[in-house]
Amino acid sequence: MPINTGLAQVSEHLLLSTVIIYAIAMLAYACDFAFGRVRAPESAPARAPELVGAGAGKAGALPAGGPAARPLDGADAGAPGAAFTSAATPRPGFWVRSALALTAVGLIAQIAGILTRGLSEHRVPWGNMYEFITAITCMAVIVLLAISLRYKAYYIGLFVLVPVVFALGLALTVIYTPAGALVPALQSYWIAIHVTAMIVATGLYIVGAVTTVMYLLADRHERRVAAGLPSRTTGIMLHLPKPLILDRLSYRTILFAFPVWTFGIMAGAIWADQAWGRYWGWDPKETWSFITWVVYAGFLHARATAGWRGRRAAYIQIVGFCCLMFNLIGINLWVTGLHSYAGLS
Amino acid sequence: MTDVRVPPGSGSEEDVRAAPAPSPDAGPPPSAEARPAFSAGLRLAVTGWLRWAWRQLTSMRTALILLFLLAVASVPGSVIPQQGIDPAAVAQYYTAHPALAPILARLSLFSVFGAPWFAAIYLLLFVSLAGCVLPRTFRLAGSARQLPPRAPRNLSRLPMSASYRTSLTPAEAVGSAAGLLSGKGFRLNNADGWVAAEKGYLREVGNLLFHIALLALLGSVGIGGIFGYKADRLLISGQSFANTPTALDQFRPGRLVTPGDLQPFSVTLDRFTAHYITSGTLRGQPSSFDASVRYTDRPGAPARGFLLRVNHPLSVDGVRVYLIGHGYAPVFRVTDGAGRVVFDSPVPFIPVEQTGLTSEGVIKVPDADPDQLGFAGVFLPTAVDVNGRLQSAFPAALLPRVSLVSYAGNLGLNSGPSQSVYQLDLAHLRRLPVAPRPLAPGQSIKLPGHAGTLTFTGYRQWASLAITYDPGQVPALISGIIAIAGLLLSFAVRRRRVFVRAHAAPDGGTVVDIGGLARSDAAGGFETEFASLAAEIMASHGGRQPAGTAAAGSADDGGSENARYGDDAGYDDDPADNYLSAPADNESALGHDEGE
Repeated sequence: MPINTGLAQVSEHLLLSTVIIYAIAMLAYACDFAFGRVRAPESAPARAPELVGAGAGKAGALPAGGPAARPLDGADAGAPGAAFTSAATPRPGFWVRSALALTAVGLIAQIAGILTRGLSEHRVPWGNMYEFITAITCMAVIVLLAISLRYKAYYIGLFVLVPVVFALGLALTVIYTPAGALVPALQSYWIAIHVTAMIVATGLYIVGAVTTVMYLLADRHERRVAAGLPSRTTGIMLHLPKPLILDRLSYRTILFAFPVWTFGIMAGAIWADQAWGRYWGWDPKETWSFITWVVYAGFLHARATAGWRGRRAAYIQIVGFCCLMFNLIGINLWVTGLHSYAGLS
Repeated sequence: MTDVRVPPGSGSEEDVRAAPAPSPDAGPPPSAEARPAFSAGLRLAVTGWLRWAWRQLTSMRTALILLFLLAVASVPGSVIPQQGIDPAAVAQYYTAHPALAPILARLSLFSVFGAPWFAAIYLLLFVSLAGCVLPRTFRLAGSARQLPPRAPRNLSRLPMSASYRTSLTPAEAVGSAAGLLSGKGFRLNNADGWVAAEKGYLREVGNLLFHIALLALLGSVGIGGIFGYKADRLLISGQSFANTPTALDQFRPGRLVTPGDLQPFSVTLDRFTAHYITSGTLRGQPSSFDASVRYTDRPGAPARGFLLRVNHPLSVDGVRVYLIGHGYAPVFRVTDGAGRVVFDSPVPFIPVEQTGLTSEGVIKVPDADPDQLGFAGVFLPTAVDVNGRLQSAFPAALLPRVSLVSYAGNLGLNSGPSQSVYQLDLAHLRRLPVAPRPLAPGQSIKLPGHAGTLTFTGYRQWASLAITYDPGQVPALISGIIAIAGLLLSFAVRRRRVFVRAHAAPDGGTVVDIGGLARSDAAGGFETEFASLAAEIMASHGGRQPAGTAAAGSADDGGSENARYGDDAGYDDDPADNYLSAPADNESALGHDEGE
C-alpha cells in the first residue's frame, strides 16, 4: 500500500506542535519553581499530619539508628500517593495546574502524531530511530503524568520535560526520517510486541534516571546542609521532597521498568528465533540490552543490600541508564549489526 | 548466607566440632610426616578456607561483582568483530591491524562469548547463585511449616503501629482481629491476648523461581550447544540440497552431534523474488523477499511446496530453515582454446553493499586447455556510469552488467590448503591483457592468444538458507516465562507481619495495640495497607482512639513513642527482632535473606 503523504504531513505538524507545547509546559513548571509555593519549612508547627513531606521531615529529629531508615511510613490511609507528596498543600498551584494541562494537551497531540504516522504508513510506527524516539518520549510523558497524578509528585515535571523536549527536538530535526515501508526483516507482528515493550521500559527508565539524578542532588544538598556547608541548590530544594522520597520514586519506576525490559528482551529473542534462526546471537544490540539488563539487575540487588543503598545504588542506576542510551544512540550510529534499522546514514 | 567473613584458617566453633578428633586407640599413622595434630590442624585450616571461600562466593557482594564483570566482559564482544557473527569483519581486522590481531586472538577477543574467561565469569556467577538459591529453597519450605513468631511485647515500637480502646474483652478483640486477618489470607499464630499474622510468602517463592529459572535458562542454552547444530547453505534457484554435512556450506554441530543425527530432509529452491521500493526517498529499499521452495521430509517422500520468507521459516522434522540472505548468480559459458565448452553454470556473487547490491565473485575454470582460466569481477544489477566509474544504482537487475579481470595459469586447486570458492589464488596466475569492458547479457570476452572465450549468458538469483536445530529452545522459552512470572511475583508481593495485642485497661475497657512491619518493602506502600487494615480492625471493634494517639501512626510519629526507643531490653529477645533487622544485615545473593 502506498504511503499516505498527506497524513504523514499531518503527523509531522502534530509532533512539531507537541514540542512547542511541551516547551511551554516546561516553562510553566519552571515558573512554579520560581513563583510557586514552597515546601512547608521543616519546623513549621501547623503541618498536616498525614503528609509525608512532614513525616520525612521528622526523621531528622529522631535518634540515629533504626527509625531514620524508615521515615516514609506516612499515615495517610486514603491517598496511595501521599508518600511522595512534597508540598504541604494537596492542591496544586496555578503554575502546576497550567503545566499539567499543557503537558496533557501536548501528550494528546503527540499520541495523535504517532497514530497518524502509523496510519500513513499502514504499520506500527516504530520502524526507525525517529519513530522510536518519538515513541519513547511519549512514554516518558505518560509516566510523568501518571506519577504526577497518582503520587502528586508535580516536582518531577520540569526535570522530565527537559530531556523530552531536547530528544523530540533532535528527532524532528537531525534524526527525522520520512514515512516509509518496513524492510522485510521488520515485517512481523513481533515488532508490535518486542519494540513496544522496549519503548515502555525505556520511557520508565528515563523517568527513573531523572528522579535518581534529582535524588543525588537532593542528597548532596542535604548532606551539605547537615555539615554546615553552603549549598547552591537551596532554592530548588525548597520545591523538592526529601531525598529518600525521590529515591523511592525512582526505585518504583525501575521496579516497573525491569520486568518490562526483561519481557522485551525475551520477546526479541523469540522474534530473533523467527527471523534469524537463533534466539540469542550476541548481536551488538543484543549484547548491550543484556548489559543494560545486568546493570539494572545489579541496581535492584544493590538496593536490597546493606552498604550499597542510597548513593551507590543510584550511581549503578545511572550507569545502567548510560548503557541504555549507548544502546539506543551509539550502537545505532557507530556499530553495524542485525539491528541496524535506525534509518540514518 | 549472611556474609560472615571468617578469617581464613580460623575455623568457627562449628568447624572445630566438625573436625574429627584424633582417636586415642588409633595407632600412630604410618607416615611420620603426618602427625595427627598437624593433620587435624591442616584439615581444620583447609575446611576453614573452603568454608570461607564458599561464603565469599555465595555472598551478595561477590554476586554483584560477578554480575558487573559479566557486563564489562560483554563489551569487547560488541566492539571487536566476532568470528561467530561476522567472520569477514574479523579477516578485515587482521589485514588492518596485523600486529594487534594475533594478540587479540590469543586473548579470545574475536570470540568473547566462547572465551574461557567469559565462561569462568558466568559459571562462577551461577555457582554463586545456586549456592544461595538452594539453601534458601529449603529454608522457605521449612518456614512454610512454621507459624509466625509470637507478637512482640511492645507493638508501638514496630515501624507501624496503632492503638485504641474498645468495650470488647481482650479475648473477643483478639479473636475478631484474628478472624479478620485470617479472612485476608494471613497465616496466624494465635495465643492468649495476642495474634501474630504473616502474609506474602509468595514473594520469596517468586524470587527463588526467578533465580532458578535463570539457572535453567543457562542449562537450556547448554543443551542447545551440545545437541543442536547450525548450518548455512547458499542455494541458486533451480538447485536442491539434502541435509547432510557435505551438502552444507557451513556446518557447526554441537559437541555430541554426529552426521547420522541430521534429519534427512531436502529442499529445492524453485524461484526467488525480491521486490524493491521504486520511488520516493526509500527507493531501493527491499519491500519483500519470497523464496518458493519444495521440500521432502525424507528421501522418497512426496514433495511439498512452501513460501519461505523472512520472519516465516520452514519447519521440517524439528529443524527450521530460514531465509537469511540473497544475491545474484551470473551465468557464464567458457570455451577454451580448443573450442570445447569447459564451463557453463551460474556462479554466486556475494553482495558487497546493500543499496545497489554490487556483488563480487570469481569464476574458476580448471578444465580449460592449454591453461586453466580464472576470472574475478563484479556484478552490477543496475549499472550506471558515475564520473567514468561503473556503479549499481538499484538492487533489482534492471540493467545487469558484469565487469571481469581475466587470468590464465594454474588455479592451484590440486595443491596446498583448500581454497575459498569466492577467491582466486593469484600465485600461479598471470593477468591477461584484456581491455576492461562491462558485459551485458549475451556479450563475450575473447581472451588473447587463443586462450578461449567467456560469455555472460544471463543471471539467476540465489538465496542463502540457515538450517538450525536447537533442542534447548523450548526449555529456554519455558525458563524465560517462569523467570518473568517469578520476577513479577517477587516485585508485586510484599512479605509482612501484623500483630494485635489486647489487654484490659486499669480504668476499665480494653486497649488494643496493632503493630506491623514489612520486610524488603523498599518501594514503600505497606504503610497504606497497614493503615487501612488497622482502620478495619478498629471499626470491627467499634473502637475509639485514646486521646493523643494517632489512629494509625508510624513509630516515628509522636515524641512519646520516640522516647521509648531502646528502653526495653527484653525486646532484643523477641522473635520479631530478627525479622526487623534482616533487611539491614543480610548480604545474601538474593538480597532478602532470612537472617535467622
